[in-house]
Amino acid sequence: MIRLSKQLHRSIFVFLPLCLTIALLPSPAQTAPKNPDTFIMASYGTVRTLDPCVAYDTLSGQRVLNLYEPLVFFDGEATDEFIPLLATKVPTMENGGISKDGKTYTFEIRKGVTFHEGGELTAEDVAYSFKRNMIADPDGGPMWMMLEALTGEGSTRDENGKIRSGIFEKIDQAVAVQGNQVILHLPKPYPPLMGILAYASSVVLQKNWAIVNGCWDGNIANAENYNNPAPGHEPLQKIANGTGAYQLKAWEPSKQFVFERFDGYWGGTPALDTAIFKYVKEWSTRKLMLQNGDADRVVVDTPYIPEVKAMKDLTFYEVPQLAMTAACFCRKINPAGNPNIGSGKLDGEGIPPDFFSDMHVRKAFLHAFDRETYRDDVFGGLVILPSSPNIQGLPYHKEAPIYPFDLKKAEEHMKQAFDGRVWDQGFKMVITYNTGNAMREAAAFMLAENIMSLNPKFRIEVRNVDWKDYLVKYRNFMYPIFIIGWGADYADPHNFMYTFMHSQGVYGRYMGYKNKEVDRLCDAGIDTVDPIKREEIYFRLQDLWYLDAVAIGLYQQIDFRAYRDYVKGYQPNPMFNSEWEYLKRLTKE
Amino acid sequence: MGPFILRRLFFLIFVLFGVSVLIFGILMSFSPERRAAAYITTPQQAKDLPRLVQKYGLDDPFYIQYGRWVGEVASGNLGWSLVAAQPVWTAFWMYFPVTLELNLYAAPLIIWFGIWLGTRSAIHRDDWFDHLSRVFAIVGWSLPTFLFALVLLMVFYGYFRIFPPGIIGDETALYIMNHPEAFTRYTGMVTVDGILNGNWRVALDGLRHLVLPVTTQVIVVMALLMRVMRSGMIEELSKDYVITARAKGADDRTVHLRHARKNALIPVVTVAGQLVAFSMEGSIAVEVVFNRQGMGWWLAESATQLDMPVLMGMCLFMGLVFVITNLVIDILYAAIDPRIRLV
Repeated sequence: MIRLSKQLHRSIFVFLPLCLTIALLPSPAQTAPKNPDTFIMASYGTVRTLDPCVAYDTLSGQRVLNLYEPLVFFDGEATDEFIPLLATKVPTMENGGISKDGKTYTFEIRKGVTFHEGGELTAEDVAYSFKRNMIADPDGGPMWMMLEALTGEGSTRDENGKIRSGIFEKIDQAVAVQGNQVILHLPKPYPPLMGILAYASSVVLQKNWAIVNGCWDGNIANAENYNNPAPGHEPLQKIANGTGAYQLKAWEPSKQFVFERFDGYWGGTPALDTAIFKYVKEWSTRKLMLQNGDADRVVVDTPYIPEVKAMKDLTFYEVPQLAMTAACFCRKINPAGNPNIGSGKLDGEGIPPDFFSDMHVRKAFLHAFDRETYRDDVFGGLVILPSSPNIQGLPYHKEAPIYPFDLKKAEEHMKQAFDGRVWDQGFKMVITYNTGNAMREAAAFMLAENIMSLNPKFRIEVRNVDWKDYLVKYRNFMYPIFIIGWGADYADPHNFMYTFMHSQGVYGRYMGYKNKEVDRLCDAGIDTVDPIKREEIYFRLQDLWYLDAVAIGLYQQIDFRAYRDYVKGYQPNPMFNSEWEYLKRLTKE
Repeated sequence: MGPFILRRLFFLIFVLFGVSVLIFGILMSFSPERRAAAYITTPQQAKDLPRLVQKYGLDDPFYIQYGRWVGEVASGNLGWSLVAAQPVWTAFWMYFPVTLELNLYAAPLIIWFGIWLGTRSAIHRDDWFDHLSRVFAIVGWSLPTFLFALVLLMVFYGYFRIFPPGIIGDETALYIMNHPEAFTRYTGMVTVDGILNGNWRVALDGLRHLVLPVTTQVIVVMALLMRVMRSGMIEELSKDYVITARAKGADDRTVHLRHARKNALIPVVTVAGQLVAFSMEGSIAVEVVFNRQGMGWWLAESATQLDMPVLMGMCLFMGLVFVITNLVIDILYAAIDPRIRLV
């Protein structure tokens, strides 16, 4: 017993301090690849589906685009230039692939391409895939993009969930097969179409395999039966049979996803035999896996970048993303039982629902946001400060004017707001951000403190709200300012400018923002093919973003990646965030 | 004893009904749109929220929605877990074995060490051993599990590289995938399946991945049991029958282990039973740090994402676990103390 007690004594007074000391010691470096034929990545996102018509999150899209292939894909770092994959060439007006009126696209389908489970690719497979995915069109899915381009409708169903009359016939007529060609007939020119065709929802399925596994039977008269499958009930949720360089080996949801090289790949044999994507939620665990060489890459969130940069034997990449986060002013706040606007009046104890309809209030908030400090303190400089939603990397981007940090000007505007009543009475309101987002939290506090420094009668409280609650409440006009981001569906300014500025845009609508000129320009932007005219339109919209003080553009994130230095072949592209990995390009040397 | 067990199992129906109504009622306090938001992950998808509410009848009255859920459960469909991207029933059999395996090793150690340490502490009351074990208990109980787990991981994986996180090594996992004919997953527990398949490589690899999580679990949870055992023993040792036994010439070992410890075990059985029942929910900290996605991780993710089918399924499961645990505890009472009759 005495011997045991002594051991106990040691375990408490020696073991724990020893552990702590060792934990702080630098670990021996790992230099040689542990698994030379296997790529291992650790991240914390969960894959929801492998069905291309449902995959709308980055992680599911990543899996789909490695298992299946689209007709075209992004050319290297470009977001508006493409290379052919299952098509033999990228159609252009010059090569006759796109008609002069911009409404007909012709794709010659590559020969000699085989599917993982056997069978050769045909033009019929391509046409079936496009039609099947549009017919399925699940709620919350990505098919609105292709539907908008090919049918002019953003959904197969109306706002009440009823099938739109004639929509399936439109889908059927939009995609035609002629010999080895697939021809797309658009109702009107749609400039971002090629970007949509490079998306995960545009990959090609094998028709017979898909039908056998429960997808649309190929008869347009039966299309309604295959429309809007419930989550998890999409037929291809957990199976795959594509033409991609890798095939599905195993998927244990929220644990790991294993790819295996497809030896029959038409584009040459990929270098790596296997790729394992592991779900590792805890950052410290991911970091140790990277350090020990048990992971070749891990997802690194912004706060952890400095400690990863201090690690050895890693290669770093910094990739600007086609994504923007903004603090949006709501001009018609919902006053019903809304704790975020206090009394709901301009009496010093709240704000009126139309508080942000006053241009001076918005300009005061814009001048009160210290962009440079935000960039340097919160992101360590690793971020782009956007001047408008037409962010860097999008076509027709320009550096629009901004409202520089200037508390004097902010004060001047506040004194003019509501004919001086804001300054005299003061106000009280709440700024919210979604829980756990440190970047948005910092922006909210910085803005609140700077505004409160103008006048002791100005009181702003900062609160965090669960992300899903946040989504619901900003759509109910509950937040005076909502901080929210948008990632590109396709690399075209329409995807951003319409979202943030159009009165029916996803955010424009909930800001209560309406400017007839803006609406007209947003609509014209997507209907115009001529690049010079489009440039004029989007330059003007960027100016209007400034002139109307629409919202505060907070940040355009720069994605940070850390690979073990023996991993080569990564090709940055702003369309893809840190969860993305294109396996066929990777090697371990 | 038979009628007693049958009666308790009969009451299980009412317990499950009560618990499910309660949890369903709590979940109904979230707005229909908020519950529909579980189906979306990006702002792009938010435009479909009203249609999702309509499609799933999330704005129907409480009794209709509850009735619909009961109907589905009665037909064997627990629903779809958005978090796990698979049916709740399938996901349960993926996550539960992970938690069960951890507890299979941790629970006996917790109970054995807890009883042993508590007994020794009480016998050597106010001795240095007692002080030391109480410090140990306080440290174990108050140490944040998350921090303790991280320290262990940093030392034994980060520095010594001997006990990696996860459930199984990559090479072993690939071996199982590449040789499906040579390895059958009977239970979903790596070490148990390794033994049942006669594959020691798999069993030992699974064991290697269990060392740190089990150590964490044992040190953190054992403290409570040790404290209960110690106070129970101290109380028993001060009772008259102990003096009588000593007066009759019984030696220390007989007095301590045959008389006092047996009587002190009643509250320990209660606490141990509750600990085992709670451990079936999984430990979020242990599972997250050591990357063993089990019931704790699943429940936590489902709660934060309002994955209703999982939350409802989990409440049924935990109701079942607690009823059965309490039943076992009652049976053990009778076994330990002959004065207790199960009627």
